[in-house]
Amino acid sequence: MKKPEHLLAPALLGTGVLAFLAAEASRLAIGGWASAALALLFALSGLALAGYGARRAGIPGLLTVVAAALGLGGVLHAPLALFTLAAGVLLYLGLRSRLPEPAQAAFWGWAFVWPSLALVLVWHVFPSFFAFYISLFDRVSFIAKSRFVGLLNYEILMRDPLFWKALSNTFWYVVFTVPTGIFLGTLVAILLNERVRFLGLFRTIYFLPYITALTAAAAVWMWIYHPEFGFLNWLLGTPGFDWLHTPDGIFALALRPFGIELQGFFAGPSVAFVAIMAMSVWHLLGYNVVILLAGLQSIPRQYYEAAMIDGATWWQLQRYISWPLLSPTTFFLAIIGLIGAFQVFTQVYVMTPTGGVLNDTLTVTMYLYNKGFRDSDFSYASAIAVVVFFVILALTLLQKRVLEKRVTYGE
Amino acid sequence: MASKLRYLLGRVLIYAVLIAGTVVMAFPFYWMLATSVKSPQEAQQAAPVWVPERLKPQNWRAATRLGAEGGSRFWGGFLPGRTVHFFIRTEGDEPPPRARVPKPPGAFRDPLSEGTRIQVERVEGGWRFSFTNTTDQAFRLLPVVIYLPKGYGTYYPELAPDAVRSAGDYWRLEWVNLSPGLFGYVFHNYREAWNAAPFARYFYVSFVTAGTQVLVGLFLAAMAGFAFARVPFPGRELVFLLFLATMMVPGEVLLIPNYILLAKLGWLDTFYALIVPWLASVFGIFLLRQFYRSLPQDLFDAARIDGASYPVMLFKIALPLAVPGLITYGIFSFLGAYNALLWPLIVTQSPEMRTVQVGLQAFIGEAGSDYGQLMAASTMAILPIIVGYFLAQRQFIEGIARSGIK
Repeated sequence: MKKPEHLLAPALLGTGVLAFLAAEASRLAIGGWASAALALLFALSGLALAGYGARRAGIPGLLTVVAAALGLGGVLHAPLALFTLAAGVLLYLGLRSRLPEPAQAAFWGWAFVWPSLALVLVWHVFPSFFAFYISLFDRVSFIAKSRFVGLLNYEILMRDPLFWKALSNTFWYVVFTVPTGIFLGTLVAILLNERVRFLGLFRTIYFLPYITALTAAAAVWMWIYHPEFGFLNWLLGTPGFDWLHTPDGIFALALRPFGIELQGFFAGPSVAFVAIMAMSVWHLLGYNVVILLAGLQSIPRQYYEAAMIDGATWWQLQRYISWPLLSPTTFFLAIIGLIGAFQVFTQVYVMTPTGGVLNDTLTVTMYLYNKGFRDSDFSYASAIAVVVFFVILALTLLQKRVLEKRVTYGE
Repeated sequence: MASKLRYLLGRVLIYAVLIAGTVVMAFPFYWMLATSVKSPQEAQQAAPVWVPERLKPQNWRAATRLGAEGGSRFWGGFLPGRTVHFFIRTEGDEPPPRARVPKPPGAFRDPLSEGTRIQVERVEGGWRFSFTNTTDQAFRLLPVVIYLPKGYGTYYPELAPDAVRSAGDYWRLEWVNLSPGLFGYVFHNYREAWNAAPFARYFYVSFVTAGTQVLVGLFLAAMAGFAFARVPFPGRELVFLLFLATMMVPGEVLLIPNYILLAKLGWLDTFYALIVPWLASVFGIFLLRQFYRSLPQDLFDAARIDGASYPVMLFKIALPLAVPGLITYGIFSFLGAYNALLWPLIVTQSPEMRTVQVGLQAFIGEAGSDYGQLMAASTMAILPIIVGYFLAQRQFIEGIARSGIK
């Protein structure tokens, strides 16, 4: 207890705490309810962690978690975070040789984790709850004080035709792009797995769109879809057809010659939106191909050889070996695709900045963007975000229940 | 014999499908590149122009000579005192053509069009035009319009015109730059797009943003992943669960709260806003955790017995063995940061803080109908990634493939 480093510890920590408190106090004095709330949150979480750490790992654990709590504040005050980190490291260098094994693990475990933990808490965990919180207010803004209205935003949302439009568009987007992407991806992957020559070249080209920025890709496709000078109209011999400004639903168009008029949701996605979907499938296909090809290559060759000896046809090989053994990969792609499809924004925003004719290409994320950042209605936009979260959650769980039964995990 | 035939047919079918797919996948890239070297009139042809004039070698020779006369051989220009000589071969004897340097639309005065002395002379086999810069300024471009009587059945300009229009009894031949130089000719749209918007600044912002995210993100994920995989610290399961839970929350939910948080911090429209919220990637931490776990535990036990501390184990043993994982995560996070549109669109307002993608998105609105320039800008925007991809193709593809196998 008389070693100098034991005096170093409280001194450094004391300075850290004082600096942190001073900074927070000044912030409070200026105002800014968000930082005050944050500071409180950090302090509480820090205390909880500290208690937990101290009980299990003694002083080093305590120091680390206090450092973590300070570091959280340090995200708000960057120099302070550096200071805390430096103090923690210095302290440890003094104490290292005398630490028992579990204490070392506790110290270094927390030391490695806390920068990420701090950032995740501040920029992921806290905002998730904050989104719900602000959705309970009437138009949260930077200027005026807003009123607590409970679930009013959700009530309005449920009766908001534009939201339903956006949701049904997004639904069609998922239904069209995810299976198409997986089907085409599987087809290409199976063909590429047939010991073709120039495999690398094919794979390179199929993969190229995926790494291309969507903004640039959307610009190119806009040019291809151009009504007057577009390549597609030349190819199809339909001069003047305005792909991106045709709001008619494709089912409605397909059934109109038979005298059947479909309206609303059942008219299906508009021609414009299908054009955007085609571009999206083009963009994502390479990813599916690469993932599926890796999945195929991990299937043992012996399965195929054994089946071939038994006289299986090529189709049977694919149907009864490749497809079932690929199902975990397919399942993974379905989930990833679903989540990605619900967040589709860039290509829609670039190709139809206003959400298309009659909002026929409005997606949920775009509606959220419009509400939040065009109309500055953060509360309503947050309500959309929360609903989207639950929809994705529900769909993922549903997919898990329905599809996972059919997933065959190999071996 | 029959089985051999069937095998061959199968192979042909496989290649046919694959090649057809390749054509569809690659066509937009070809079309982007081709359009990016087209003049507006070429881009707006009813039937597609497969090989633009600017890619034809006979035009390159003329462009190089004309550029050398006006300024430099490669980038052209129209320097003070220089004279550019241009020749149109014609057949027959008709009234003389007229030439002028057009004013930019809406310009009241234009030193270039007023300060250029133009001479038109009849020479053997055609007409010679001389453009002399009598001002003391250097110009980047020398736009020229020549009216040629329609009576000339055929005419062969040295450099193919960028546009030919009909104007009464004359053909109106237009050149956006009659003194281009080799690169100035081929890459005309690129140069104009580069000058029309501050692309250099956009690239700077994008590279700083993506680079910082990759480097700091790698560092953070390497440490946290190691702690989760190999350091038995108290509270590990709890924190890990928390990280897992954040993966359930889609990015859309975070947009508004994070925007508000940044606004309260006064960080909007700064590099902080672009970088800080996405520094810690749960995905990266998981990826590297999986990687560390695949390394044999004996390795770490041995090191421990030899007295290695945890940081030594991380930086001397685990990290060097986890390089493929680091590359995977690095590529992912660079792609994500460089290609992102929504987040930079939200948190930046001033042109100085635009990333390439936001700049391009703004450019799409501004470029209007000049699709050549727009495609040139798009090509520039994807070029860094494409170049990186061709340099490190294996790492890209293996990295992405690895991310899918859990």
